Amino acid sequence: MKRRRLLQSFVAMPAAAAAAQSTASQDATPRIAIASTEAGASGLVRFFTKTQFEALVKLAGLIAPSSSSHPSASQAGAPEFLDFLVSQSPEPIQSLYRQGLDRLGREGVTEAGLAPLNQAWTYAGPSDRFAQFLQRAKTDILQATINSREWAESLGRGRRGSSPTGYYWRSLD
Amino acid sequence: MAAQTIHDVVIIGSGAGGGMAANTLTKLGVKCLMLEAGPMADLDKDRALVNVYDLPYRGFGKPGRFPHVTQASEFDANLWADEKQNPYTYAAEEPYYWVRIRMVGGKTMRWGRASWRLSDLEFACKDHDGFGENWPVRLEDLAPYYDRVEPMFRVSGRNEGLKQLPDGKLILDDSADSLSVQRFVGSCKQLGVPTTKPRRATGTLASSTNLLLPTAIESGNLQLITNAVVREITADPQTGRANGVHFIDRRSGRDYHVKARTIVLSASTLESTRLLLNSPSLAVNSSGVLGRYLFDQFYVKNTVQAIVPEARGGRGERNLMGGGGYIARFRNVDRREKNFIRGYTYDFGSGGTPSARVLPLYGDALFKELEELRNTAFGMTTMGEVLSRYENHASIDKTVKDAWGIPALHISQKYGENEHAMAKDAMEMGEAMCKGAGFEVIAKHAQMVPPGESIHELGTCRMGSDPKKSVLNGYNQSHEVKNLFVVDGSAFVSGGAQNPTLTLMALSMRASEYLAERLKKGEL
Repeated sequence: MKRRRLLQSFVAMPAAAAAAQSTASQDATPRIAIASTEAGASGLVRFFTKTQFEALVKLAGLIAPSSSSHPSASQAGAPEFLDFLVSQSPEPIQSLYRQGLDRLGREGVTEAGLAPLNQAWTYAGPSDRFAQFLQRAKTDILQATINSREWAESLGRGRRGSSPTGYYWRSLD
Repeated sequence: MAAQTIHDVVIIGSGAGGGMAANTLTKLGVKCLMLEAGPMADLDKDRALVNVYDLPYRGFGKPGRFPHVTQASEFDANLWADEKQNPYTYAAEEPYYWVRIRMVGGKTMRWGRASWRLSDLEFACKDHDGFGENWPVRLEDLAPYYDRVEPMFRVSGRNEGLKQLPDGKLILDDSADSLSVQRFVGSCKQLGVPTTKPRRATGTLASSTNLLLPTAIESGNLQLITNAVVREITADPQTGRANGVHFIDRRSGRDYHVKARTIVLSASTLESTRLLLNSPSLAVNSSGVLGRYLFDQFYVKNTVQAIVPEARGGRGERNLMGGGGYIARFRNVDRREKNFIRGYTYDFGSGGTPSARVLPLYGDALFKELEELRNTAFGMTTMGEVLSRYENHASIDKTVKDAWGIPALHISQKYGENEHAMAKDAMEMGEAMCKGAGFEVIAKHAQMVPPGESIHELGTCRMGSDPKKSVLNGYNQSHEVKNLFVVDGSAFVSGGAQNPTLTLMALSMRASEYLAERLKKGEL
């Protein structure tokens, strides 16, 4: 009630005097909400060439299409994120991606071209380099999609799934 | 200069071994100073619930930050010791995954809490099959200490009366098994394979930090200094006795020294040995085995991944899935069998969805299959004994230093024929167990993780009755420098396949009581 009266007293003040006052305490330590970067901005594609990135978008579309209950890889921004992730990754992974996407760019992204993804899983993985690329891209595209904000929001729409939340450890000094 | 205190006991390291030493010694009225290389975490302030999509790398983690810590996630990356600040080397063809945590509590801040006793199959392993060396202790020597450590950590499980997996003082886990686990246990029984409930310290943390250190601090007998990176143990040139410790403040780089009557070293298996090798005035290695006999336990993660067919599409009975258990060693227990010595164990678990990685599908077909296979998975992970061999060793690499200028370790460990044969047998037996239960095996393999990755590194400063073949006696005390005790995994002579932390703590408790008694009698 006290606070309400205080507010009313501000309203009653002349405009110039009110502008000089703040309702915040001089000594309070505020908790200001911060927007997450991806909620308000889009990451730029800086690593892959235009052709490579187009192939990645098509590949992502086949690997993780949308359904009535979840977003597609592209809706989740997975291709843009992977452009960033691969740009930060060790060279062998960068060349695996570049060569794989170059081949997809040349040969087109088709179901037939993704046949290696229908081969039975082995621990050692395939010996063929293009098949290695496809396996890695499949896992990365799925994880980038499932770990996205868009995917998490779709969980609220009646679909079961694991919580995307965990304990983050700050840097210990 | 102010007169320097001479501490009765300086404990190096605050993990399972150091924490238990502090807990035991301070209860007996012994004044201790503990040096921990890392900081103290505040679990309220240093952790926060965060959405995976708000992490900078969407949960993938910063690429290349932890080439050897497969356990690190983007959530807990700041918990693991930085690999650039703490380098080590290995030959290119023998990768070694050294996984470290530097903070109060050490690796107990992240352990799986599995708490098994070793048996005389390990303590008297040479008597059993002729390989290696016996320990200077037997189960009967250690049992009274296991009896006390288990209740401290509130270990739950079920006693089975198996000689290879000694019974403990447990909180009885008599929970009903799910139907899939019952079927699996039945299949194991047909194959003559003993199963039991998981045996684990209860609670989510169960660490040195919350179970061992608080009582030590409350006693008024323990001082804890954090960020103390110990670089050398010093010795009196006249008597050869250890007389102090040099350390460097982790943050400022300032040099410090503490004086000690007795030193309890528990910096972790390889760090303790590194410190001893970096302490030239300390003569502890006339046997020549310091740094030698490095071993661990090999893991084959997800040896067998299976599906419980009746659970497909959520059509199973309500209590079909869930729970898990443990398979005790069954090879080479009562008779010599197979083309290897020793044995292996498994963890098994029912429930969850198989990884998309192992399903040969993508797109809508994959999402449909994942939905169909929700809560149908049954998985087994193998943990096998690794033989303790002279050629597997750690030494100082004079060309590489850590962020504090301390010479780094070179680590050389390879798995041999015995481990490979065991891993193959484990895969085949695991498949037979699953098939016997009517499960559909969707993936299997026998590829061991690289040495070190199980975070069960052991040996390099081993105990023994014969000073010519060992560094420590039966009380974890240096044969040569009587006021030096080493109470971590480096003291192990052999390791079986049981997770080592419980044994390490029982040994530390026993050594600490011995130390306190000797100290009181003026014998140290």
